[in-house]
Amino acid sequence: MSSADAADDHGHDHPKFLQHQFDTPAQQFEAAKIGMWAFLGQELLFFSGLFVAYGIFRSWYPEMFSMASHQLNRPMGAANTIVLLFSSLTAALAVRSAQTGNKAATSRFLLITIGCAFIFLIVKYFEYVHKFEAGLLPAHYFHPHADHLVPGTTIPENGGSFFAIYFMMTGVHGIHVLVGIGVMIWIWRRNERGDFSAKYFTPVDLVALYWHLVDLVWIYLFPLLYLID
Amino acid sequence: MSHPEHVAPDQEHEGQYDVHTHISSVGFYVFILTTLMILTLLTVGVSYIHLGRLNLVVAVVIASIKASLVITFFMHLKYDNKFNAMILVVSLLFIGVFFAYVMNDTEHRAEIDNDQGGRISGSTGAAAPGGMEHHVVAPAGSAPAAGDHAAPAGDHAAPAPAPAPAPHH
Repeated sequence: MSSADAADDHGHDHPKFLQHQFDTPAQQFEAAKIGMWAFLGQELLFFSGLFVAYGIFRSWYPEMFSMASHQLNRPMGAANTIVLLFSSLTAALAVRSAQTGNKAATSRFLLITIGCAFIFLIVKYFEYVHKFEAGLLPAHYFHPHADHLVPGTTIPENGGSFFAIYFMMTGVHGIHVLVGIGVMIWIWRRNERGDFSAKYFTPVDLVALYWHLVDLVWIYLFPLLYLID
Repeated sequence: MSHPEHVAPDQEHEGQYDVHTHISSVGFYVFILTTLMILTLLTVGVSYIHLGRLNLVVAVVIASIKASLVITFFMHLKYDNKFNAMILVVSLLFIGVFFAYVMNDTEHRAEIDNDQGGRISGSTGAAAPGGMEHHVVAPAGSAPAAGDHAAPAGDHAAPAPAPAPAPHH
């Protein structure tokens, strides 16, 4: 991508950001957006496998899902939901700042979004540590310790199925958060370098789209995993 | 290297080929976030009310409203090329197909009924045609895989007076 920025050596008055294969900035922008949406569609289909697994097992073992869900920490899940929703706002505002050519604000909002992503992972870390200590682990690693469970609760022997799904869904989502942090740091550095302007902000737009998808998946994960009656 | 085919946007038409996007106001974005937060509180609140199976429906409906707000406004799909919206809708459609076919199988897969020696539907206890052959009809109390499927499926639905499968196959 960045190599094309410097490759405008053939005498036309192309803007630096316009790559050779495109006629106009608008065409380049539309192409990038379609590509990103195709990727996001793929992401949804990719996650849908986990959601279908969730549907099958919840329908087979509704009581077990309810009891296992009570072992999750609702305040932490709710806090992470708020953090991710807020970071979606700051990602949208980063795009808005880029659209209006406000480089300093774009950097600021990207950094706030990255900060929220770290907070999310830190909260998730404490949740995971508790699950490890309580032996609430996937499938045959499942060996719950009565003294680590939420007081007054029990968990059935097949609770490992719930935690297999819990760790797969939140784990794959967490990997997406990690990737998001990496990409946002890259885009933040490019913004600092002055790559973007009101005429060219596509990468900021695309990384925000990705971040909103991470938020979207969590919007479903939170009630489905933490809030089972 | 020259590109004779490529017509660079010339000076007098500058702007004509530029990217034009809708720019929402900061206030509007904050309003969307506020709505999302209120819906989050709502979904937490509703989870403490016992509605039976309706709890899941309510949770998914609220989550979908939140998702729609994020997609429509934060992701600008409302102002985007409609082709992008089509990609999303088609993806969701295929997720629906995926769910429908898989759940149709797993919900209505027949179990072997020990007493009758025939196939019965795990969720209703009614006689079921076809279904998967189980390799072993396990004796009572020693069938973790097959037995576990039948027992909870029987007691979560339990609408019909039909004989439920024995608790331990």
